[in-house]
Amino acid sequence: MKNGFRQSMAWLHTWTGLLVGWLLLLIFMAGTASYYREEISRWMRPELPSARVSTDVAAQRAIAFLQDKAGNAEMWYVTLPQPRNPAMSTFWRVPADQADPSKGRRGAFGDATLDPNTGGELKARDTRGGDFFYRLHFDLHYIPVYWARYLVGFCAMFMLVAILTGVITHKKIFKDFFTFRRDKGLRSWLDFHNVSAVMALPYHAMITYTGIVTLMVMYLPWGVKAVYPQDEDAFFAEAFGGLPEVSAPAEGRATPLPIAQLLDSARAQWNGIDVAGFTVSNPGAGNAVIDIRQRDGKRLSTDTPALRYDMVSGALLEASPPSGGATATRGVMYGLHLARFADGGLRALFFLSGLTGCLMVASGVVLWAVKERPKHAKRGRVGFGLRLVDALNIGTVAGLPIAFAAYFWGNRLLPLDMAERSGAEANVFFYAWAAALLAAFLWPKRLMWAWQLYIGAATFALVPVVNAFTTHAHLGVTMRSGDWVLAGFDLSMLAFGAVLALCGWRMQRWTPPLSAAEKKKRAAAAKAPAAPATTSADASV
Amino acid sequence: MTLFALTLSFSAFTALSLAMEKHPQDLHGAAAATPARRARWRVLGWILLAVALTLCVVDHGWAMGPVRWLGALTLSGVPLVFGLYPYRPTWIAPLAIALPLVGLVAALL
Repeated sequence: MKNGFRQSMAWLHTWTGLLVGWLLLLIFMAGTASYYREEISRWMRPELPSARVSTDVAAQRAIAFLQDKAGNAEMWYVTLPQPRNPAMSTFWRVPADQADPSKGRRGAFGDATLDPNTGGELKARDTRGGDFFYRLHFDLHYIPVYWARYLVGFCAMFMLVAILTGVITHKKIFKDFFTFRRDKGLRSWLDFHNVSAVMALPYHAMITYTGIVTLMVMYLPWGVKAVYPQDEDAFFAEAFGGLPEVSAPAEGRATPLPIAQLLDSARAQWNGIDVAGFTVSNPGAGNAVIDIRQRDGKRLSTDTPALRYDMVSGALLEASPPSGGATATRGVMYGLHLARFADGGLRALFFLSGLTGCLMVASGVVLWAVKERPKHAKRGRVGFGLRLVDALNIGTVAGLPIAFAAYFWGNRLLPLDMAERSGAEANVFFYAWAAALLAAFLWPKRLMWAWQLYIGAATFALVPVVNAFTTHAHLGVTMRSGDWVLAGFDLSMLAFGAVLALCGWRMQRWTPPLSAAEKKKRAAAAKAPAAPATTSADASV
Repeated sequence: MTLFALTLSFSAFTALSLAMEKHPQDLHGAAAATPARRARWRVLGWILLAVALTLCVVDHGWAMGPVRWLGALTLSGVPLVFGLYPYRPTWIAPLAIALPLVGLVAALL
C-alpha cells in the first residue's frame, strides 16, 4: 500500500479497475445492448408480423388458440402484443398426470408464439435474439449460471469500488469538469477517462449499485436462511409474491365471460393504463380465475400491479397487495436497472449513458497501458505485463464490437433449418471474439488496433447489406413503410460502423506527441521563447 | 419536451463552462473572463439547469422527471466536452443560443 489517503485510493482504483476491466466491458456492452432487447429480437426474427391489431382482438385470438391447443391445461400464460414487440407469446402447464415424462420437469409445459393478426402459431427462425445479450450480461455463457453470477457480482463490486476510489482520486473533479485536451497522449486519455466517468456519474453509480441489488438475495442469502431456515420459497412469496395460490379446478365446466369485458374492467380499475398480459388458472372450469397484469411505463418499480377476476362471474376477487417499504425500494432499484418503464426518448438516454460507461471502462484499461509504456520504452523492451494488457485491450476493446456484429451476421447467414441454431448463433459471437483475441495476442501492436477497428467498422456497416440480401425487411422497405424499429436497427449499425472506422483511422494516423524535453529542445533550436509553463505541469500529473 | 430540456442543459453547461477560468479564454481570449462576468455565467447556468429539471418534473412527475433530467445532462455534456470544445469551439456559442429555440419549437409543435 502506498502512503497517503489519495495515493492509496489511486492504487486501489488502478488495480480494481484493471483486474476486472475486460470482463466488465463485456458486461457493460451486453447490458447496454439489452436496453434494445425487444428491438434486437424483432430484427432477428424478420418473419414476425409488423401490423398490429387491438389488444382485445389479440387477447380473443390467444384464448381461442389456447382453448384449441391446450384445453386440458391447468394454467395459460399470455403476453399480449406490446408497442415494442408485435408478437404474442404464450405458455401453458398441463396436469402432472398428462405431462410428457421423457422431458422431465419441462414435460408439463408447452409454448407458442402467436401472430395477433391471424391467431395462428408463428414459425420464426430459431434465435435467442436480444435475450442472448440480456443473459450474457449476468449469466455469461458456456459456464454454469451460478458461477457466472458470482463472477459478475465480483466484477460489479470491484466496479463500485473503482467508482468511489475514482471520485476520491480525481483531484480536480469540478475544475476539470469540461476539460478534454486533445492530441496530448497520456493527458488526453486521462481527460477522456475522467470526463466519460464524470459526465455520466449518476448513471454509473446507479447502474452498478442497482445491478448488485438485482442479485442481492443470491449474494447475501444468510438473512433469508436465518428467518426462513426450511423454506426459502415462503420468503419470496411473502416479500414479492403478488396474488395467492389458486385452488384446484372444480368439477364441471362453465363458459367464461368474453375476455374483452374482463380486460376493460381491469383498465377501468387502473384509470386507463393498458394491459400487458394475463394468466388464466383452471381454464374452462367453474372456478376459473384470470390474473391481469398492468403494462410497464408508468412506474419506476418492476413490481407489476395485478388484478384477479372470477372468469365466469366477472367479480373482482383480489388485487396485488401494496408492497412494503423494503420491497418497494428493491422494486424501484430493480426497475431503474432494467429501465422497462422508459419510452423512446428516455430509452435512448439510458442507451447513450450505457455507451458512455463502455467508453469509460475501455479508456480505463487503455490508460493503464499508455501510462506503463514509457517505463518499458526506457528499458528498451516490452515486458510481459504490458504485452498481456495490450493484447487483452486490443482483443476486447476493438474485438468485442466485431463479435457483436458477427452475431447479427450469424442470424442472417446460418441455414434456417439447422439443428441447435440459436446456440450456433451464440457460438459465432464467441468464435469472432476468440479470433480477435488470438490475433491480438500474436501481434499486439498499434496497427492491430487499426485493423481490428476497421474490421469492426466493416462488419457493422455491412449488416444492413447482408440483411438486404437475405430478407425482405431491408432499409428500402422498412424506411418506406415507416417501420422505425427495423429501420432504426439497420441505421444504427451504419452509425456504429462509421464511428469505428473513425476510431480506426485515428489509430492508424496517430503519431506520438512530443515529450516536454523534446519540445524544449526544438524550441531552443528555433531560438523561440520556451514552451508555456502549463505544459510541464500537465506532464507531471 | 425532453428535447427542450436536453437543449437547455446544453446551454446550461455552456454557461457553466464559461464561468470557469480556462474555458472563456479558449473561446474569446483573456478579456472575457473577468470575475463579474464569470459569476453571471454561473448564475445563468444554474438557472437553466433548474428550468430543465422543472420541465422534466412537470412533464413526467417526481419519479420519472429527475431520471430523465440526469440523462439529459449526460447527453448534452458529452458532445460539448468531447466534440465541440476540442474540435469546433467556434460553434459552441451559436449552438448554445440556437438549440434551445429549436427545442422550444419542437416542444410547442
